[in-house]
Amino acid sequence: MWRSASLRLAALYTLAFTAAVAVLGLVTLLTTRAALSQQFDARILSESAALAQEFRVEGVLGVADAVQERDRTPGALDYGLEGPGGRPIAGRLAGRRAVAGWSTLRMAGAGGEREKVRLHAAALVGGYRLLVGGDDEDIDAVDDLLARRFALATVGVVLIGLAGGYGLARGMGRRIAALTDAAEAIIDGDLSRRVPATRSGDDLDRLAATFNRMLDRIATLMESLRQVSSDIAHELRTPLTRLRGRLEASLGRPAGAERTSAEESGALEGALADLDAILATFAALLRIAQIEGGARRSGFQAIDLAAISRTVVEAFAPSAEDAGQRLELERPASVVIEGDRELVTQMLVNLVENGLRHAGPRACVRVGCCVQRGRPVISVSDDGPGVPASERERLFDRFHRLEASRSTPGSGLGLAMVAAIAKLHGAEVSLHDAAPGLDVRVTFPAGAGTL
Amino acid sequence: MKLLLVEDDRETAAYVKRALTEAGHAVDHATDGRDGLLLAAGETYDVMVLDRMLPSIDGLAILRTIRASGVKTPVLLLTALGGIDDRVEGLEAGSDDYLVKPFAFAELLARVNALARRPPPQDVQTTLQVADLEMNLLRRTVTRAGKRIDLQPREFQLLEYLMRHAGKVVTRTMLLEAVWDFHFEPRTNIVESHVSRLRAKIDRNNAKELIHTQRGAGYSLREPD
Repeated sequence: MWRSASLRLAALYTLAFTAAVAVLGLVTLLTTRAALSQQFDARILSESAALAQEFRVEGVLGVADAVQERDRTPGALDYGLEGPGGRPIAGRLAGRRAVAGWSTLRMAGAGGEREKVRLHAAALVGGYRLLVGGDDEDIDAVDDLLARRFALATVGVVLIGLAGGYGLARGMGRRIAALTDAAEAIIDGDLSRRVPATRSGDDLDRLAATFNRMLDRIATLMESLRQVSSDIAHELRTPLTRLRGRLEASLGRPAGAERTSAEESGALEGALADLDAILATFAALLRIAQIEGGARRSGFQAIDLAAISRTVVEAFAPSAEDAGQRLELERPASVVIEGDRELVTQMLVNLVENGLRHAGPRACVRVGCCVQRGRPVISVSDDGPGVPASERERLFDRFHRLEASRSTPGSGLGLAMVAAIAKLHGAEVSLHDAAPGLDVRVTFPAGAGTL
Repeated sequence: MKLLLVEDDRETAAYVKRALTEAGHAVDHATDGRDGLLLAAGETYDVMVLDRMLPSIDGLAILRTIRASGVKTPVLLLTALGGIDDRVEGLEAGSDDYLVKPFAFAELLARVNALARRPPPQDVQTTLQVADLEMNLLRRTVTRAGKRIDLQPREFQLLEYLMRHAGKVVTRTMLLEAVWDFHFEPRTNIVESHVSRLRAKIDRNNAKELIHTQRGAGYSLREPD
């Protein structure tokens, strides 16, 4: 799930929103607190000023009366009047040795509970001091309330963010999965698949539409490629059939009568052999094109690599022996894969013929099939001169032939066909140094085989 | 034998017809699918040679139509070069054999001969015999003049195919398809090596050779003239 880009994005956004909500909460808290404190202080100062005025007009007794009266009023502030030397005269706050100016005092409240009082001590004429203060717990209560609400809001933001992110990721995931599925199907050779589009017309839909247009284009190209090869095959086979017929007729076959001189018939037989070589190359090219088009995927069935290896080795061993070479089968454990029997057989035949042709006289070619790290492997190795590392990659190119083998017959298409057949099966072809000789391995995808 | 040839290219058809006639067959020729279908459905033939790609009605459609109407005549389908699915499609439509165009005439003739008068499938044979060579298909044994000959499984298959087509020419490609199930042409002549081994076992120490090489065509198993 964490591999989903949309979910990661949603998580990132949730985190950013949470941080923003937290900052907003903090700023609100501080601002509210500052405003409330300021308001509270202003109230204390205005009371203090009013009492100081009373002192100037009414004197000590007048203020003391006022202080006592206010002290008794419920919901009012706390007051105190001290004489010179801090002697308490009236009020709850008197005699508690508060410093001049602003201070905070902890004292027992009316009901015995501890309370925190913020107070202001103002000096009056004659050594008297006037104290006005109040419990600022209300401000703390407001702070607490705000903090709790914001914490709740933050949790809400996180929950909404996660739920939204999950939903977004699911929705996006489904649409991206549809895109991936279509692409996979096309890789597997189903060129008719298209990506379904929703009606929202958003960027993903535009991507899907672009993707589908690209697929249309690829399908057109593939179709024209297929059409071209089929046209070539169709257009050329009639003249080639005529040509072959004429050559055969000129040779005196099928009548059996020798109508031509030995020299002429030699030339005609040469021409016929050349024509057959051209036809073989041509057929191989068309076959490779068809295999690369993925046409045969539908013909896949369970096939046993060991049985195919045995058939091919048995088929080629006598002719190898006649040429003074050896062809051996190693480790014939049963390995079943999903594949095309005819094509896998041809792949192995091409590899065996290639090995026998290039390994030289008295060489030994070994065919093996086994399961390595869960993957079915066919290997064909020889003890011939091998292939230089620099040449190995190009070995599978069409018409590529090693310098050393230019003089021997061969179309240079055998290994290109091996590569095409391997690719159709999702298999990898790798070349290894058998020291001496070449070891060609075809490794099928894991899970394709069972022992 | 009476043959039907459905082929749209007149020159190729003329050449094939002439060659088949020279080989002793009576050949009817149709140049398009419609005529081909009319002849195939109306007349009785020993073998039909049908080009897959034809104007108006293609070869596969003709094949399906006549098979659906109960015509069991052996059909040889001529398929396009390089068409790897053609063989399977042809077999599914009801063809008995196929040949990739362009072909060697000897190949066509051998296949037409092999298709003709095949024993009906319900007629199960348990033994095959050519001259003093006997094959027991149930016990998988082979004797020549009463003497037991040991054969490898593949050699047995090869000999069985030759004996089933005794007296007829069997080409290299036919053997590759029938014995090894190879529907492509390997570059190496593997058939020759196998036949020479088989010949060594069958014909060694025998005055009469049964396995003959037909130059430029293939092999045949028959009593020497």
